[in-house]
Amino acid sequence: MRSRRLAALLASLFLLLPAACTGGGDGPSAAPSTDVPGDIVIASGRDVTGRNGIRERLIEAWNDKYEKAGYRARLVELPGSADEQRSQLLGALQSGSAAYDVVNLDVTWVPEFAAARLVRPLPEELVDEDVIESVASTARWDGDVYAVPFNSDVGLLYYRRDHLRQAGVHRTDLDGGMDWQQLEELINTLNDHKPAGYEKGWTTQLAAYEGRTVNAVEAFASTAEDFALTDGEGHYDATVDELAKGIDELRRRTGQPYVLPDAVRSDEASSLSDFAAGRTTFLRHWPYAYRTLHQSFTGDRLGVTALPGRAVLGGQNLAVTAGSRRADMATKLIEYLTGKESERCLLDAGFAATRSSAYTQDGVRCTVGAATPSATPTGESPDTVPRDPAGRPAYARGTLLPALRQAVPRPRTPLYGAFTQTFTAQLGALFTEHPPGDAELAEELDEALRRALPD
Amino acid sequence: MADVDPRGLVNRALLVGVSEYDLTEPPHGVPGDLPAVKHDLNRLQEVLQRGGVFGEREITVARSPSLDEFSRALRTAADEAEGLLLLYFAGHGAIPSAGDELFLQMRNASVVAGGHAVFPGAEMFTTVLTVLATSRARRVVVVLDCCFAGNAAWIWETFPDKRRVLLLMSVQANHRIDAGDPRTPTPFTEELCRLLDVDGEVRFSHLADGLRRRMAEAGRKTVRGDDWEPQSRSVPDEDVLVSARAARPPGRTPAPPPPPPPPPPWSGTAARLRAWAAAGAALLRRVLPSGPPRPPTLRAALLSALAVAAVGVGYGIVVSAGDDASCAPPLELRVLTDPDLEPTVRAAADAYLTSDGNTSGAGCRRSGITVYSAGAADAVTTLRGQTGAWQEPHDDDVNPQRDVGPQPDVWIPASRADVARVVQGQDTDAVAALQADDDPLAYSPMVLAVPQNLAAESLDERRGPTLNAMIDALRERDEQAEVRRPDPEFTDTGLLATIGLYRTDPRDPGRAERRVVQPGPPSPTAADLLCTLPDDDAVDDRTAALVPEFLMKSGIGCDSARRTPRIAQYPVDVPGLEPVFVRVRWQGAERDEADRDEAAGRFRSWLTGERGQEVLARDGFRSASGERPLLDTEDVAEGVLRDPSPLTEPAGRDAMEAALAGYRGANGPGRVLFLLDSSGSMAGQWDGPSGGPGLLKQSLGGLGDQDQYGVWAVSGTGEDTYDTVLPFGHHTRRDAERAIDGRAEVEDAEADPYGALRAALDVMERRGAEEERPDLVVYVTDDEDAARLTGDRLDLVVGQARAAEVPVTMVSLKSGGCDPGKPDARISGASGGRCLDADDDLGAALHDEVARTGTGED
Repeated sequence: MRSRRLAALLASLFLLLPAACTGGGDGPSAAPSTDVPGDIVIASGRDVTGRNGIRERLIEAWNDKYEKAGYRARLVELPGSADEQRSQLLGALQSGSAAYDVVNLDVTWVPEFAAARLVRPLPEELVDEDVIESVASTARWDGDVYAVPFNSDVGLLYYRRDHLRQAGVHRTDLDGGMDWQQLEELINTLNDHKPAGYEKGWTTQLAAYEGRTVNAVEAFASTAEDFALTDGEGHYDATVDELAKGIDELRRRTGQPYVLPDAVRSDEASSLSDFAAGRTTFLRHWPYAYRTLHQSFTGDRLGVTALPGRAVLGGQNLAVTAGSRRADMATKLIEYLTGKESERCLLDAGFAATRSSAYTQDGVRCTVGAATPSATPTGESPDTVPRDPAGRPAYARGTLLPALRQAVPRPRTPLYGAFTQTFTAQLGALFTEHPPGDAELAEELDEALRRALPD
Repeated sequence: MADVDPRGLVNRALLVGVSEYDLTEPPHGVPGDLPAVKHDLNRLQEVLQRGGVFGEREITVARSPSLDEFSRALRTAADEAEGLLLLYFAGHGAIPSAGDELFLQMRNASVVAGGHAVFPGAEMFTTVLTVLATSRARRVVVVLDCCFAGNAAWIWETFPDKRRVLLLMSVQANHRIDAGDPRTPTPFTEELCRLLDVDGEVRFSHLADGLRRRMAEAGRKTVRGDDWEPQSRSVPDEDVLVSARAARPPGRTPAPPPPPPPPPPWSGTAARLRAWAAAGAALLRRVLPSGPPRPPTLRAALLSALAVAAVGVGYGIVVSAGDDASCAPPLELRVLTDPDLEPTVRAAADAYLTSDGNTSGAGCRRSGITVYSAGAADAVTTLRGQTGAWQEPHDDDVNPQRDVGPQPDVWIPASRADVARVVQGQDTDAVAALQADDDPLAYSPMVLAVPQNLAAESLDERRGPTLNAMIDALRERDEQAEVRRPDPEFTDTGLLATIGLYRTDPRDPGRAERRVVQPGPPSPTAADLLCTLPDDDAVDDRTAALVPEFLMKSGIGCDSARRTPRIAQYPVDVPGLEPVFVRVRWQGAERDEADRDEAAGRFRSWLTGERGQEVLARDGFRSASGERPLLDTEDVAEGVLRDPSPLTEPAGRDAMEAALAGYRGANGPGRVLFLLDSSGSMAGQWDGPSGGPGLLKQSLGGLGDQDQYGVWAVSGTGEDTYDTVLPFGHHTRRDAERAIDGRAEVEDAEADPYGALRAALDVMERRGAEEERPDLVVYVTDDEDAARLTGDRLDLVVGQARAAEVPVTMVSLKSGGCDPGKPDARISGASGGRCLDADDDLGAALHDEVARTGTGED
């Protein structure tokens, strides 16, 4: 292992040299580069901020600067499902079936792509101290920066204030969060005084895909201060006892009195839709739902707060492919897309920004197009997101930033695909008609994870 | 300037050849000495001197140096060179099991498996490159003649300062090679010297091309038996002059070297070699983790590597990194299948992933698999005519990577006829090639799954009649009985059923379609159909479903308590499902072609083997051969016949194409009126493929030449509630897109959906009175003006929509726009159309709606 680390270290040291020669300016420079002019292809999943997304506009803004130098960044959208995105990126980079220069990697894939050397080490300074610490840790593998955080993500709890009012709850502002017991008490109250259309207390994503892994990790991580399924090098590192506690917590949260039965078949879209339809009062979801939900709800009906217990860190990072013929320019592009102003643009548009400055420094502003659609002369305002005086989504500083800082990662291993497939499949037993006991399921899960993540 | 002529500058050539090693005894020695390497140095020195680029004193020859000596010589050469710096290495090369570094083994090299110091006395190629990069030399040429030389390519690729470095490697990555006759240079260096040993200028590029050609012409093979292919790496257009020999007077050209004599017999060393091999095996037993016996894969490969090395002909070594080695991320196979086969193929892949067949000797997964599905017609269309766009999507409208899925390495369609459909019509410039198995993986006949109390009673009625005869008989038993079939565009089960439906009167598919008419669109898959029926007990009780037999076993898990039990009837004229394994190879995907072939082949063998067939058996499939018995003869689903013979011939290519064309045109050409909200608030939802115009343009693929359609831009609240962007009539897609791009724009005004929708319904009603056709109104909006569509006005529109019998598809760009009670949901519901909102995949869903009305083909 040492040899590989050393090799990567040497490579990254040398990568710094050309960057030092360019003087760090923004515009095209005459610095020596091995790049061949042409398109820089960025492969990415769909932009959750929707139509005419901010990512597209940031890329256009970069093109305005560099097109005359012969470089043009071009976005290739990948399938909607994260599993299919990962499969296409892996298969294409391993085999050469498609050519990408920059890939937008889910944070959980970074170790896999780095260990397989499908992406290159990047200059350290791309992830500076402004990047939120928990988020910055997703950038590295084996001591090197391989993928620069582009947008982050974290589990949040959305809730219906009007439901709480209808159920006679006095405290309809849950800012500052609560623990699971308090949430359960609220749900018990709601169950006794059901608002119209209400079925169960909360809903989330428990279908057999990454959403189930996320929810399970949130439950498991809430059982112990330093809970982790893998060690720093990605080796499996949990005990049957720890697993049993985690399973117990997941079972409690998803028990019959609390969770919408459809959650077991739900993904992000269906859980959002069930919550929006009023079937539940609470929803575990990601930051982008803030924008979506505010299209249907005003601020006095909708609230968002920290998820009780621990919340999982998500997000996507940008990396340069090993085979790119425009690696230097691709690195510059990433530097731009993940810089302070871009992050502020992403935040305004509905993403969770990766840099503290986007949340805290009013001087950092987005000047790229209109991240927030402006009102037209007719007075129609397409922007329904509540905003703070500096124009950020109102919850950004007080709720989103602290949640990101305290978020827990999913296991970091080059074998994440095998891990999540095993974890999701094994925990499926909990949601059957006759679920096994904690100890029995923990034993099976432990054995399956040992097989999936061999030492 | 990319081409450098270094003559006149200070040049340096460092020729390193390790022919003798201190330690060649097991367990820590290298595989043996390399006498041929001595000849390499002599010969290369000679031709370089004659070449004139390097002066006599500019060439340093290091014969079997230790690591320290090598390092010193390398630094010196790097320090001194200003023009061309050439490093040549011949000797043993070694790689760790991950293959991600190349170690050049010097005289004092040893091999210690396990722990960190795997290759003492060897230099990492990364370090070599790093030292070379410190040189001021304008060009650095590195020539590696050793086993695994090609593993240097990746290191070069990721080396930041590689522009100046031109790399020549004797063999492709992960391959060992024969050092050849001990009395002559090694084969690669011999060819290299011949290419250098000519009058005139020789450039690096010339060497790289020439070596590939000559090794191929000589038919040389690597130790593994593959073609021996020298590799080179350089930044495009970078080149350098390496030799420029002045022409000699005629008559003084030296005679070409004589052909090498046959190698001498390797007598007298057998005992030593056997000992070495045995020690190698012992070493491996320590290196590899202990545990239950595993398949002989990695262990055998390592043993054979060492054994070959032990006989002294190979010059390389591969070593597992030891007990703390982690598993490397495995090769990923992308497996595309038919939507109705997806659950079964996924179950098979899940079982395979953790099987011994997919586990290496070190307990690592050899491949990863992701199973996904796409609409069956889309898969065929894309493989046939859009592989270029699949590999490299250039515009937002045609992007199979987004709309179909990953580029498959393996495709498992439900019928071999799908492969024929692709191959027959495939573009000449297609970048994907298919290789289909001859035999299907399994078989499942299409059945008419009839509610128990309506089913035929005699065996002759259950197997034997044609599909249409069965349907007629069913209706005779109960005139309320209905038949449903899944979407023939989305799944082959629907298309195979359609072949049977159309047999009676192939020229009138419209008549056949009336046998399976149902409210709303058909279920996308047969599995969905079986799950949807129990939603309404009355429908479940009176509706027969055309589904593949295997779903009688594995497709009834949903609503199992409420569903009506069904009996399978086996029509004689409907072809069955015959999933077939197809390897898809992509142009340009050469990086791991052999490994990918092997990985696909292993999955294929497993599927056709005992364990794979177990999964297919569990899901209710039959054997694809013989009398086609059920694979699981013990746990047979209720309502299924064990021996439903006679079964039919496989589906034919033309029959499937004809059925699909018939289905698409069954109702004749259609008429669609698009209304595009163009009020001010649409500004934020206008551009890109998922903006209003983008969605509309994508859906035009569902319309053909025979269809008529028009586009209105909706804005304005007075008398004029819309502008005509595209007048109603026949259009080519291109003209229509141009009109939308050119004429549709956001207006600084609000919109009046009430007025515009009523006007649209009026127009369509008038046209309907003239001639009955499939009609559709599509309204794309951000719902910002929904306030104009409340109360009486909404009731009026809803009432008119219901009366007009023209389906209205409301497309809301807002999340929740179709929630119950919302205006969009009410209007579309009353009209019999669909409501789509931002929670749906709008592009695909709208395309499907439009395609159902029109006769387009993509």
